[in-house]
Amino acid sequence: MTKFKKYLQFMMLPASICLFLLLSIGTMAQDSTAVPSKKPVKNTFESNWVLDNQSVMVPIKGTLEMDMQHRFGTVRNGFKDFYGIYAPSNIRIGFSYVPMEKLQFGFGFTKERLQLDLNAKYAILKQTKGGIPVSITYFVNTVIETTPDKDNLIYVTGGDRMSYFHQLIIASKITDKISLQVSPSISHYNNVEGVLDADGIVQRNMKNDHVAIAFMGRYKVSDKMNVLINYDQPITQHPGLKKNTNPNPNLSVGVEFVTSAHAFQLIFGNYQGITPQSNNYFNHNAPFKYTTADGTEMKGGMFLIGFNITRLWNL
Amino acid sequence: MKSKLFTAVFILFASTLILVATSGFKPSQGKPWPVPDKNAKMANPVKSSATSIAEGKALWVKHCQSCHGKTGKGDGTKAASLKTEPGNFVTPAFQKQSDGTLFYKVSEGREDMPSFKKKIPDTEEIWSLVVYMRTLK
Repeated sequence: MTKFKKYLQFMMLPASICLFLLLSIGTMAQDSTAVPSKKPVKNTFESNWVLDNQSVMVPIKGTLEMDMQHRFGTVRNGFKDFYGIYAPSNIRIGFSYVPMEKLQFGFGFTKERLQLDLNAKYAILKQTKGGIPVSITYFVNTVIETTPDKDNLIYVTGGDRMSYFHQLIIASKITDKISLQVSPSISHYNNVEGVLDADGIVQRNMKNDHVAIAFMGRYKVSDKMNVLINYDQPITQHPGLKKNTNPNPNLSVGVEFVTSAHAFQLIFGNYQGITPQSNNYFNHNAPFKYTTADGTEMKGGMFLIGFNITRLWNL
Repeated sequence: MKSKLFTAVFILFASTLILVATSGFKPSQGKPWPVPDKNAKMANPVKSSATSIAEGKALWVKHCQSCHGKTGKGDGTKAASLKTEPGNFVTPAFQKQSDGTLFYKVSEGREDMPSFKKKIPDTEEIWSLVVYMRTLK
């Protein structure tokens, strides 16, 4: 058994425990003497974003949000590029609107591969005091890569530019200070890289679908400041005829400052992409040193600095 | 003669400047804020308790503190850039207003003071905020 498979199996155990704890603690943490209320629990998370992932929150009806997101280069070069600040960076400008209670639509533009994303988010279930233990939200994102390709060298058909992301977001506000979230997801790319095998036949280097799971937590330091942590674990193993094909996990930590109309998150993590399917499918920055299934020694510590800023208007 | 003319022009200019500075940008402190009787007489359905005060305080920190200050004295970080005087909530003059009056002012807003009825759609939360404002003495 390869080191990577051992590592994956090692990670699945805490992942299962986390999922079990979220569902059970969510029930237990609710005061048994409290009168059950139909009012939903508020502020499980205080922004649409938890660092690199969507939070369970769908803002109130009539909310218009503008997102400004930035990811610098990795810090590994030190002073050479001032810890990634002067390195090539990734940027997304996005907008979202909540036309009716529980439902949000959004779109955005990302610098990396000129991605245009269209997304929707629906709050299926909301946690209540002494009643429902968790909130559940569904998030879907479609991306069109708009990179110019006049001679169809990258994209043979228009459909090759498309990718999709589906995520089920399950979260619970355990106490006033602590919230936890687990988010299984599936990403789909219409177009995957082809490589020639030993017989000269074109094979897919990666599968079209990629399953992953993310874990997030928030600790409320004060009414204005939160500490956030996020971990993304890839689950699908791709054929990987080329070396170093499989995406890496992502570990990110950050602080969040919240005001009436803004949320500001400062991030230290591995993901340089911003759209979720791109992050889950193509992350080459490993948080820890490990050996892949094909024997490649992955360097750990590939962290970078980033930030998310959201501006809200209530129309 | 030239210097007299210069002095006269300078005085005229300075007077105009002072007049503009003290009238056009005068904060609307003390400007009456009429509240309909039925709103002013509304009773607060949220009782003062540790929970409601904590809920009100969280809303205060997020939505009000930047203008009205940490302790409600009108000395928040944005206060200096406001045209409208944010007021001093610690004074008896402020505290003698009814709960219904405070609820109405928070909900409706005027001038620099935004309306919070869309941002805080749950009326119970605004009442909790009123409960917290009563602790600013």
